[in-house]
Amino acid sequence: MKQKCENQQKCMKMIQAVLDGSASAEEVEHFKLNMDACMPCIETYKLEKSVKEAMQGKVEKKCCPQSIIIDIRAKIGLAILFLGFIFIELKLNNYL
Amino acid sequence: MEQEEEIVEVIARYSEKEKYAVFDKEFMPHIDSMYNFAFRLTNDEDDANDLVQDTYLKAFRFINSFERGTNAKAWLFRILKNSFINDYRKKSKEPSKVDYQDVETTYNSTEDAEMDATTDLRTETVQDMIGDEVANALNSLPVDFRTVIILCDIEGFTYEEMAKILDIPIGTVRSRLHRARNLLKEKLKTYALSMGYKTNELESQEEV
Repeated sequence: MKQKCENQQKCMKMIQAVLDGSASAEEVEHFKLNMDACMPCIETYKLEKSVKEAMQGKVEKKCCPQSIIIDIRAKIGLAILFLGFIFIELKLNNYL
Repeated sequence: MEQEEEIVEVIARYSEKEKYAVFDKEFMPHIDSMYNFAFRLTNDEDDANDLVQDTYLKAFRFINSFERGTNAKAWLFRILKNSFINDYRKKSKEPSKVDYQDVETTYNSTEDAEMDATTDLRTETVQDMIGDEVANALNSLPVDFRTVIILCDIEGFTYEEMAKILDIPIGTVRSRLHRARNLLKEKLKTYALSMGYKTNELESQEEV
């Protein structure tokens, strides 16, 4: 097994793309064929996977406060009402 | 306004009733993700509240430029990101909100001269870290790098979707993510050392 990787940065980019589910078919194939033969790449894979999992699972996901949802709905309702008034006013002006 | 130029209404696609239906069915289910993104970008609850409200009001205003059944989440994230950039540019005059040393270091590194991989951060150390420690490392990244990590790792967008949201080529998404993750690992390593976690660097010092 290789103990030194000559293309570490390039391999790391490819490993990240594989973990992100955005690697090309050729990259996935290359990854499957060569991964087990390079120790630095195996270590990189483990570390990248753990960092990604930490981001997914450990960083708190904030929920939108209910008051904001109510505000948004109210503003949209008011905006429509306001446009309605302008429309009626224009119609009235034309009529008069 | 940059955003308004981008999402110009071409045709009146929906009736008033349909606008509300699209808004409720396609936009509202993403509000928690939108808030989380806004909070992670601004690191401030009040700013996140304003940003989400502003984004949803813009989305409603320009709803005719959204095609029902297409990727609403990516469309909304793009509006939020643009609103943030416009607002952030104004606020960026406040020096305390930006770590210029980080920005200088990371932006000066070109594609050919990328930062060295951080090999002395241990997988076990990352696994042992608690949420706040990981979040602190994420929050300390320059905003462009923070953004790609949030979009990819927390929100699960593909590179193609990220390219559309950020309005950059897929190759740039890949490079930016790569650099962002290298910097994130540096931050995690520094934090791990300060908290007394084991790193390969610490272990080799102990052995000497």
